Amino acid sequence: MTAADSLAAKGSGPVVWVGIITVTCLLLFALHSVLWLVVPALLALILYYFLYPPVQYLMFRGMSRDSAAAWVMATFLIVLGIAVALMVPWVAAKVLDWQSIVERYMKGGLGLMESSLRGLEARWAMLANAHVADTAMERLSQSSGSMAEHLEPVAKGVAAWTPSLMLAPFLAFYFLKEGNRFKRFLANAVPNAFFERTLNLLHEVDLTSRAYFQGLIKLTVLDTLTLAAGLWVMGFPGPLALGLICAVLAWIPYIGSVLGGLLVVLVAATDFPGDPTMAYWSIVLFVVVRLLDDFIYMPLTIGKSLHMHPLLTVVMIFAGGAVAGITGLMLVLPVLGVVMVIGETIGKVVTDPRLMARHRHARQLRRQEASSDL
Amino acid sequence: MALGLFRSKSTTPRQERLRSLSLFIHLTPRELQILDGLLHERDYLKDEVIFDAGEEGQAIYIVLEGRVLICRQGQPVEGRIAELGAGTFFGELALLDNDPRSAQAKAASDCRLAVFFREDFMNLLETHAVIASKISRELARHIGRRMRELANHSAGALQHL
Repeated sequence: MTAADSLAAKGSGPVVWVGIITVTCLLLFALHSVLWLVVPALLALILYYFLYPPVQYLMFRGMSRDSAAAWVMATFLIVLGIAVALMVPWVAAKVLDWQSIVERYMKGGLGLMESSLRGLEARWAMLANAHVADTAMERLSQSSGSMAEHLEPVAKGVAAWTPSLMLAPFLAFYFLKEGNRFKRFLANAVPNAFFERTLNLLHEVDLTSRAYFQGLIKLTVLDTLTLAAGLWVMGFPGPLALGLICAVLAWIPYIGSVLGGLLVVLVAATDFPGDPTMAYWSIVLFVVVRLLDDFIYMPLTIGKSLHMHPLLTVVMIFAGGAVAGITGLMLVLPVLGVVMVIGETIGKVVTDPRLMARHRHARQLRRQEASSDL
Repeated sequence: MALGLFRSKSTTPRQERLRSLSLFIHLTPRELQILDGLLHERDYLKDEVIFDAGEEGQAIYIVLEGRVLICRQGQPVEGRIAELGAGTFFGELALLDNDPRSAQAKAASDCRLAVFFREDFMNLLETHAVIASKISRELARHIGRRMRELANHSAGALQHL
């Protein structure tokens, strides 16, 4: 083994890792300012990896990639269109009910909070002397306006995001149809000396992102089923819907799980007003699912895909949150996974003296050819 | 309409050229079209290194135009193994494993190569098993021929002793 070979065979050094982390943070910061594109692109990626297996199946049956992508996307849009058409009248009829339902659940949550604080005051004289329950409830009543006030920004947000979100199926269709062409387009831009390594890099990036997003879909299904089973055993209404909402919220690391937990506690407090133990049991259920998630489901689905050290994962989640808020929390792992593969490959290429020498030689040949008749 | 999706379109000059290669000789025009979509095209200048001996092989190269020299690493004259022209291919073992390249490949003249990446071949095995099996069969025949040639060459060398 030559010195050049042994250098190339070594893992990435600290300089490469500093570069990877810096580029990840810069990318997150940049992506944060183009959210209108990032969110549909992210949804499109999830849709792409969700629809890729049927496209692959059709290709396996002998259909071309273009046709398979067109058929699968058309079928998906038709099914989605029918579902929306069926749901619109139902949603329109239920909007007023939902307003009162949300109000009811909010009141239920406040009731639970008040009863819990009063319970604590009864046990701890210090809290009773400080009138903790009264103070907290007064502050909450001051800060909470009418339901219409809360719904207005939500409605405005939905209206503002709808055109941007409609990009998602459009983008997903082109990812499905042109995936290979895009790869070839990128590979064509690379000098001959680095070509084979780049092909391998693009393949690794594709594998990493596919494993991540397909892992995310599997994780969502596992979370939904586990939560739904737990909620069903406890007697909650609509356990599957609640489980699905919480599993999707869990796409946002940490905050998503807390929001999901709060949602279930609100339902417990409202639907079982006389039984505060239900709310406590729902918290226990959430903690159990969280533990299952961290120690069993995640390693089985997403964890394996990114090949990251757990310490790096946790540190980067915090860094992502600090740099780009919730967007950063959501994007940090896939972005880091892709940047890591690219960074490690570039690190290996630029530290390989033989490849660099071949590249310089090829450039010299091209220069000579360009000036041969001068 | 659905049947129309499986109908083949007219072939391009590159696909015609690919069909003349022993590796792809049994592919139908439609199968060639699918394969063509997976190939990368690269231009090399005379004396440019295509790959080095000892490098991990990731792809098979098909000579579309020009000539390619296969030689022992850094010995283009005394270590010359073969010179390949248009319609031939080299680096085929990379389709089967990722063992290091056994020789160096250099452009003997300005040349244009089509490159077939191993992972694309692996995907082809899953998505278009018929195409991949036709290529595999021709690859096995090609390697068998090479082994027989090598055996004959060794036997001839022994007789000279």
